[in-house]
Amino acid sequence: MGSFLRRHKRIVPYLLLAPGLLWLLLFYVVPAFQMFLTSLWSGTLETGYEFSLSNVSNYTEALTRFWPQFSRSLIYGAAATLLTFAISYPLAYTIAFRGGRYKNLLLFLVVAPFFTSFLLRTISWKIILGDTGIVLGPLKEIGLLPAEFQLLATPIAVVAGITYNFLPFMTLPIYVSLEKIDKRLVEAAEDLFATSIGAFRRITFPLSLPGVFAGSLLTFIPAMGDYINAELLGNPQTTMIGNVIQNQFLTQNNYPTASALSFILMAGILVAVAVYARLLGTEELTAGGV
Amino acid sequence: MNEILPTDRARLSRRRFIQGGALAGFSVFLAACGRAGTSAAPSAAPSTAPSTAPSASVAPSASVAPTPKPSMATELHWANWTYYMDVDDAGKFPTLEQFKAKYGTTVNYQEVIDDNDTFVGKIKPQLEAGQPTSWDIITVTDWMAARLIRLGWVEQMDLGNLPNVVANLQDVYRNVTWDPTNDHHVPWQSGMTGLGYDQKKTGDLKSLNALFDLKYKGSIDYLTEMRDTIGLTMLKLGLDPSKATTADCDAAVAEIKRVQDAGMNAVFKGNAYAEDLKSGDAILSMAWSGDMVQALIDKPTLRFTIADEGGLLWTDNCLIPNGAANPYTAQVMIDYCYDPKIAAQIEAYVNYICPVKGAAEVLLADNPETAKNPLIFPPPEILARLHIFNGLDEATEKYFNDKFATVTGLG
Repeated sequence: MGSFLRRHKRIVPYLLLAPGLLWLLLFYVVPAFQMFLTSLWSGTLETGYEFSLSNVSNYTEALTRFWPQFSRSLIYGAAATLLTFAISYPLAYTIAFRGGRYKNLLLFLVVAPFFTSFLLRTISWKIILGDTGIVLGPLKEIGLLPAEFQLLATPIAVVAGITYNFLPFMTLPIYVSLEKIDKRLVEAAEDLFATSIGAFRRITFPLSLPGVFAGSLLTFIPAMGDYINAELLGNPQTTMIGNVIQNQFLTQNNYPTASALSFILMAGILVAVAVYARLLGTEELTAGGV
Repeated sequence: MNEILPTDRARLSRRRFIQGGALAGFSVFLAACGRAGTSAAPSAAPSTAPSTAPSASVAPSASVAPTPKPSMATELHWANWTYYMDVDDAGKFPTLEQFKAKYGTTVNYQEVIDDNDTFVGKIKPQLEAGQPTSWDIITVTDWMAARLIRLGWVEQMDLGNLPNVVANLQDVYRNVTWDPTNDHHVPWQSGMTGLGYDQKKTGDLKSLNALFDLKYKGSIDYLTEMRDTIGLTMLKLGLDPSKATTADCDAAVAEIKRVQDAGMNAVFKGNAYAEDLKSGDAILSMAWSGDMVQALIDKPTLRFTIADEGGLLWTDNCLIPNGAANPYTAQVMIDYCYDPKIAAQIEAYVNYICPVKGAAEVLLADNPETAKNPLIFPPPEILARLHIFNGLDEATEKYFNDKFATVTGLG
């Protein structure tokens, strides 16, 4: 075996890639292809389904019918991404540069909520934001808020839930990119009479952009497809495209429409990410020609 | 008037309930991807089929003779929901143990169903292909039972094997539109859909109008189950859900839309409505009787009422899927549970409504709290106000679902 590998060195990378590729092929490419075929079916569960290329109208119909949910997903996803960025950057900055010997503990605290299930974390937000919960209850009690004021079942609750749930996905990449910055670069800038704000703007922030880029993708992509937050914290006016897909697949048994919606979502995210990479992407990430 | 108050805490607290219905959503996605069914559904008779002769609805089934009368099988496979069978402290099912002692049949009883669509999604490929599903008895809700019968995926039973069922089935369950011959399904447990509310906040309520009263805006939950929400709304409007038409559906949806546009901000929930009632996020909700047995104990100011306009009765039913290996034994098993003594034994554990005549009388002797609990044995004046939602054919069901989706934000 060893000598075989030595003689065919060029095979080695492929062997190393094989498990990942096989995984992708079996659990992503094949199901995605099957789902693509499904999206071009017509018919119902009881009459049976028929495949036809003319059913490409499934896509246009799905897009027009569910446009409100699509645009809402885009807005909520973007809002949550911006919010996680606004919260994560100072947090990661503080841990990276001021954390000192508590660095590991602080990082652990960022990740700690992940030891609880996604669902439980979202349900706990229900308790926090509840109409008579631990936040609103006392405020209503002392008359600071009217009795009918609510956070639960509003867009605010949904965006807040998404923001909270995906926060570590933003914090960790930014932390990593900040952590590896050579502090001497900042010192050099200050030696050259840069103000600390100037040094941050021209040295630290640009060097942390790969982390910001990775973090926003890791946040935005799952946030856009999320349906748990909208289901648990929202109301009928805050449904996202994930809720629709779930409903079409499982309740309505409308597999063609559900599949078409999934592909539209995928395509939409790809386009959004490509645009984002062009506008803001850092060189090392766009070098591949995204 | 019809108020149902908490009863005997100590005993009832033994009954445990899953209240995290939302969890179902996760596992569900995989199942959906499992099989979408290829193009060849069995050539089911047009959707009106089950209304005629008994044999008409089993068209595509390979087994022509419904029940060969052989001896009892040594094993029986039963798929059911959780908390639907009496359990002892050792984790055994006394009813099934007694059945084994009497007939020698070991019942492989699996609590594998927590969602109709997910479960049926798993066995659908076999049913479509005319292969055995590995189950002898499955337990699904009315509308799913209607769909499976309509598709011809269910074995016809021989009423001769079901003397207890014939004698003891409560009348309200007989002659449903989707199984007029009463030989494709046997009711297992039922629940009522009615009004759940916090009496301390709302006072006593007797009318479904409260669910559409803007006085309670921001504090009302409706149900994600289309039949429950549309059904109660129809009752509020004076329409009969057991004869629901598309026009009735339009009227109900318009009513929900009306209050939504007026700023009601009602949310649509599954089992989670019970949590909302307990936490105070909702003070008024459409509610299921089984959940409320537990909720009333957890929060004594809660009430469950079948309003003057009426309520809904839904049922989970035993069916024998096509290709079942032991259809005869399955019928003996089902019939065994219709012995009032056995039914009473099961009911002393289960929170839902017992469809078996005589069970209440048996329970009265040694377990009067259960026998008198109107959520488990509703008195005749409540039963009379309950409606079973109309069996919808596929096209009509789609119409209802699509319409309903426009108010839940999913359409």
